[in-house]
Amino acid sequence: MQKAWLQVFIGAFFEVIWVIGLKHASHYIEWAGTIVAIFISFYLLIKAGETLPVGTSYAVFVGLGTAGTVVSDIVFFGEPFSFLRIGFIAFLLIGVIGLKLVTEERGEA
Amino acid sequence: MYWGSLIVAGLFEMIGVLMINIYHQRKSWGALALLILSFSLSFALLSFSMKVLPMGTAYAVWTGIGAAGSAVIGIIWFKERANAIRILMIATIITATIGLKLIAS
Repeated sequence: MQKAWLQVFIGAFFEVIWVIGLKHASHYIEWAGTIVAIFISFYLLIKAGETLPVGTSYAVFVGLGTAGTVVSDIVFFGEPFSFLRIGFIAFLLIGVIGLKLVTEERGEA
Repeated sequence: MYWGSLIVAGLFEMIGVLMINIYHQRKSWGALALLILSFSLSFALLSFSMKVLPMGTAYAVWTGIGAAGSAVIGIIWFKERANAIRILMIATIITATIGLKLIAS
Protein backbone atom coordinates (compact mmCIF):
# COMPACT_ATOMS: atom_id res chain seq x y z
CA MET A 1 0.00 0.00 0.00
CA GLN A 2 2.76 2.39 1.04
CA LYS A 3 4.78 1.40 -2.03
CA ALA A 4 1.77 2.13 -4.24
CA TRP A 5 1.43 5.66 -2.82
CA LEU A 6 5.14 6.18 -3.42
CA GLN A 7 4.49 5.17 -7.05
CA VAL A 8 1.73 7.81 -7.24
CA PHE A 9 4.05 10.53 -5.88
CA ILE A 10 7.01 9.62 -8.10
CA GLY A 11 4.65 9.24 -11.07
CA ALA A 12 3.30 12.75 -10.48
CA PHE A 13 6.87 14.07 -10.30
CA PHE A 14 7.59 12.59 -13.75
CA GLU A 15 4.27 13.99 -14.97
CA VAL A 16 5.51 17.48 -14.11
CA ILE A 17 8.86 16.70 -15.79
CA TRP A 18 7.24 15.78 -19.11
CA VAL A 19 4.93 18.80 -19.04
CA ILE A 20 8.00 21.03 -18.55
CA GLY A 21 9.70 19.10 -21.36
CA LEU A 22 6.80 19.59 -23.78
CA LYS A 23 7.04 23.35 -23.24
CA HIS A 24 10.75 23.92 -22.86
CA ALA A 25 12.66 21.07 -24.58
CA SER A 26 14.84 22.35 -27.41
CA HIS A 27 17.52 19.69 -27.88
CA TYR A 28 16.78 16.16 -29.06
CA ILE A 29 18.17 14.72 -25.82
CA GLU A 30 15.65 16.82 -23.90
CA TRP A 31 12.86 15.57 -26.19
CA ALA A 32 13.99 11.98 -25.61
CA GLY A 33 13.95 12.61 -21.84
CA THR A 34 10.44 14.06 -22.14
CA ILE A 35 9.15 10.92 -23.91
CA VAL A 36 10.84 8.68 -21.31
CA ALA A 37 9.19 10.75 -18.53
CA ILE A 38 5.75 10.26 -20.20
CA PHE A 39 6.23 6.48 -20.15
CA ILE A 40 7.54 6.44 -16.55
CA SER A 41 4.64 8.55 -15.21
CA PHE A 42 2.00 6.44 -17.02
CA TYR A 43 3.68 3.20 -15.95
CA LEU A 44 3.80 4.21 -12.28
CA LEU A 45 0.17 5.38 -12.31
CA ILE A 46 -0.97 2.07 -13.84
CA LYS A 47 1.18 0.11 -11.34
CA ALA A 48 -0.27 2.05 -8.39
CA GLY A 49 -3.77 1.35 -9.73
CA GLU A 50 -3.17 -2.38 -9.30
CA THR A 51 -3.05 -1.86 -5.51
CA LEU A 52 -4.94 1.37 -4.84
CA PRO A 53 -8.46 2.28 -5.98
CA VAL A 54 -7.94 3.73 -9.50
CA GLY A 55 -10.15 6.80 -8.99
CA THR A 56 -8.40 7.78 -5.75
CA SER A 57 -4.88 7.26 -7.04
CA TYR A 58 -5.67 9.18 -10.25
CA ALA A 59 -7.24 12.03 -8.26
CA VAL A 60 -4.12 12.43 -6.10
CA PHE A 61 -1.87 12.02 -9.14
CA VAL A 62 -3.59 14.69 -11.23
CA GLY A 63 -3.82 17.03 -8.22
CA LEU A 64 -0.09 16.79 -7.60
CA GLY A 65 0.64 17.08 -11.32
CA THR A 66 -1.42 20.25 -11.64
CA ALA A 67 0.03 21.83 -8.48
CA GLY A 68 3.54 20.92 -9.66
CA THR A 69 3.11 22.52 -13.08
CA VAL A 70 1.56 25.69 -11.63
CA VAL A 71 4.37 26.05 -9.06
CA SER A 72 7.04 25.31 -11.72
CA ASP A 73 5.52 28.00 -13.97
CA ILE A 74 5.94 30.59 -11.23
CA VAL A 75 9.14 29.45 -9.48
CA PHE A 76 11.29 28.33 -12.43
CA PHE A 77 9.89 30.13 -15.47
CA GLY A 78 8.85 33.56 -14.19
CA GLU A 79 5.13 33.23 -14.89
CA PRO A 80 3.39 36.03 -12.91
CA PHE A 81 1.35 34.91 -9.90
CA SER A 82 -2.35 35.38 -10.61
CA PHE A 83 -5.02 34.58 -8.02
CA LEU A 84 -7.67 34.47 -10.72
CA ARG A 85 -5.73 31.97 -12.86
CA ILE A 86 -4.89 29.72 -9.91
CA GLY A 87 -8.49 29.99 -8.70
CA PHE A 88 -9.86 28.79 -12.06
CA ILE A 89 -7.28 25.98 -12.19
CA ALA A 90 -8.31 24.87 -8.68
CA PHE A 91 -11.97 25.02 -9.74
CA LEU A 92 -11.23 22.91 -12.81
CA LEU A 93 -9.33 20.42 -10.64
CA ILE A 94 -12.40 20.01 -8.41
CA GLY A 95 -14.32 18.95 -11.52
CA VAL A 96 -11.68 16.42 -12.65
CA ILE A 97 -11.18 14.90 -9.18
CA GLY A 98 -14.94 14.89 -8.52
CA LEU A 99 -15.61 12.98 -11.75
CA LYS A 100 -12.94 10.38 -10.97
CA LEU A 101 -14.19 9.81 -7.43
CA VAL A 102 -17.85 9.60 -8.51
CA THR A 103 -16.95 7.08 -11.22
CA GLU A 104 -15.10 4.97 -8.68
CA GLU A 105 -17.97 5.04 -6.22
CA ARG A 106 -20.06 3.34 -8.84
CA GLY A 107 -17.42 0.65 -9.24
CA GLU A 108 -16.45 1.13 -12.83
CA ALA A 109 -13.29 3.19 -12.64
CA MET B 1 -5.15 29.03 -32.46
CA TYR B 2 -3.22 27.96 -29.35
CA TRP B 3 -6.47 27.48 -27.43
CA GLY B 4 -7.96 25.55 -30.36
CA SER B 5 -4.92 23.33 -30.44
CA LEU B 6 -5.19 22.74 -26.66
CA ILE B 7 -8.85 21.74 -26.90
CA VAL B 8 -8.17 19.33 -29.78
CA ALA B 9 -5.24 17.93 -27.72
CA GLY B 10 -7.72 17.22 -24.90
CA LEU B 11 -10.12 15.53 -27.33
CA PHE B 12 -7.35 13.28 -28.67
CA GLU B 13 -6.45 12.36 -25.09
CA MET B 14 -10.08 11.37 -24.57
CA ILE B 15 -10.00 9.21 -27.73
CA GLY B 16 -6.71 7.69 -26.55
CA VAL B 17 -8.25 6.68 -23.21
CA LEU B 18 -11.27 5.25 -25.06
CA MET B 19 -8.90 3.20 -27.24
CA ILE B 20 -7.16 1.84 -24.11
CA ASN B 21 -10.55 0.55 -22.92
CA ILE B 22 -11.42 -0.91 -26.32
CA TYR B 23 -7.97 -2.51 -26.56
CA HIS B 24 -8.48 -4.10 -23.12
CA GLN B 25 -11.76 -5.63 -24.32
CA ARG B 26 -10.49 -7.01 -27.60
CA LYS B 27 -6.81 -6.90 -28.49
CA SER B 28 -7.17 -5.47 -31.99
CA TRP B 29 -4.30 -3.89 -33.94
CA GLY B 30 -6.64 -1.15 -35.09
CA ALA B 31 -7.35 -0.02 -31.53
CA LEU B 32 -3.65 -0.16 -30.67
CA ALA B 33 -2.73 1.91 -33.74
CA LEU B 34 -5.44 4.49 -32.94
CA LEU B 35 -4.28 4.55 -29.31
CA ILE B 36 -0.69 5.40 -30.29
CA LEU B 37 -1.81 7.88 -32.95
CA SER B 38 -4.24 9.67 -30.59
CA PHE B 39 -1.74 10.08 -27.78
CA SER B 40 1.03 11.20 -30.17
CA LEU B 41 -1.23 13.86 -31.69
CA SER B 42 -2.46 14.85 -28.23
CA PHE B 43 1.07 15.43 -26.88
CA ALA B 44 2.17 17.25 -30.05
CA LEU B 45 -0.82 19.62 -29.90
CA LEU B 46 -0.40 20.16 -26.14
CA SER B 47 3.24 21.03 -26.74
CA PHE B 48 2.25 23.47 -29.51
CA SER B 49 -0.35 25.20 -27.30
CA MET B 50 2.28 25.69 -24.58
CA LYS B 51 4.38 27.83 -26.90
CA VAL B 52 2.10 30.58 -25.64
CA LEU B 53 0.01 29.27 -22.72
CA PRO B 54 1.43 28.72 -19.21
CA MET B 55 2.05 25.06 -18.32
CA GLY B 56 -0.40 25.04 -15.40
CA THR B 57 -3.25 26.40 -17.52
CA ALA B 58 -2.56 24.09 -20.47
CA TYR B 59 -2.11 20.97 -18.34
CA ALA B 60 -5.28 21.61 -16.29
CA VAL B 61 -7.43 22.22 -19.39
CA TRP B 62 -5.91 19.18 -21.13
CA THR B 63 -6.73 16.81 -18.24
CA GLY B 64 -10.11 18.54 -17.78
CA ILE B 65 -11.24 17.96 -21.37
CA GLY B 66 -9.97 14.37 -21.18
CA ALA B 67 -11.96 13.69 -17.99
CA ALA B 68 -15.13 15.55 -19.02
CA GLY B 69 -15.02 14.02 -22.51
CA SER B 70 -14.59 10.51 -21.12
CA ALA B 71 -17.57 11.05 -18.82
CA VAL B 72 -19.71 12.27 -21.74
CA ILE B 73 -18.68 9.26 -23.84
CA GLY B 74 -19.50 6.99 -20.89
CA ILE B 75 -22.97 8.50 -20.57
CA ILE B 76 -23.85 8.61 -24.27
CA TRP B 77 -22.06 5.55 -25.57
CA PHE B 78 -21.75 3.11 -22.68
CA LYS B 79 -25.07 4.05 -21.10
CA GLU B 80 -23.55 5.02 -17.75
CA ARG B 81 -26.00 6.88 -15.54
CA ALA B 82 -25.92 10.67 -15.95
CA ASN B 83 -26.38 11.55 -12.30
CA ALA B 84 -26.50 15.13 -11.04
CA ILE B 85 -22.99 15.12 -9.55
CA ARG B 86 -21.41 14.02 -12.84
CA ILE B 87 -23.25 16.70 -14.81
CA LEU B 88 -22.24 19.29 -12.18
CA MET B 89 -18.57 18.24 -12.39
CA ILE B 90 -18.61 18.40 -16.20
CA ALA B 91 -20.16 21.88 -15.98
CA THR B 92 -17.47 22.89 -13.46
CA ILE B 93 -14.71 21.84 -15.87
CA ILE B 94 -16.31 23.68 -18.80
CA THR B 95 -16.88 26.83 -16.73
CA ALA B 96 -13.30 26.86 -15.42
CA THR B 97 -11.93 26.32 -18.94
CA ILE B 98 -13.94 29.25 -20.28
CA GLY B 99 -12.77 31.35 -17.32
CA LEU B 100 -9.14 30.54 -18.01
CA LYS B 101 -9.62 31.40 -21.69
CA LEU B 102 -11.27 34.73 -20.83
CA ILE B 103 -8.58 35.89 -18.39
CA ALA B 104 -5.82 34.80 -20.83
CA SER B 105 -6.94 37.06 -23.65
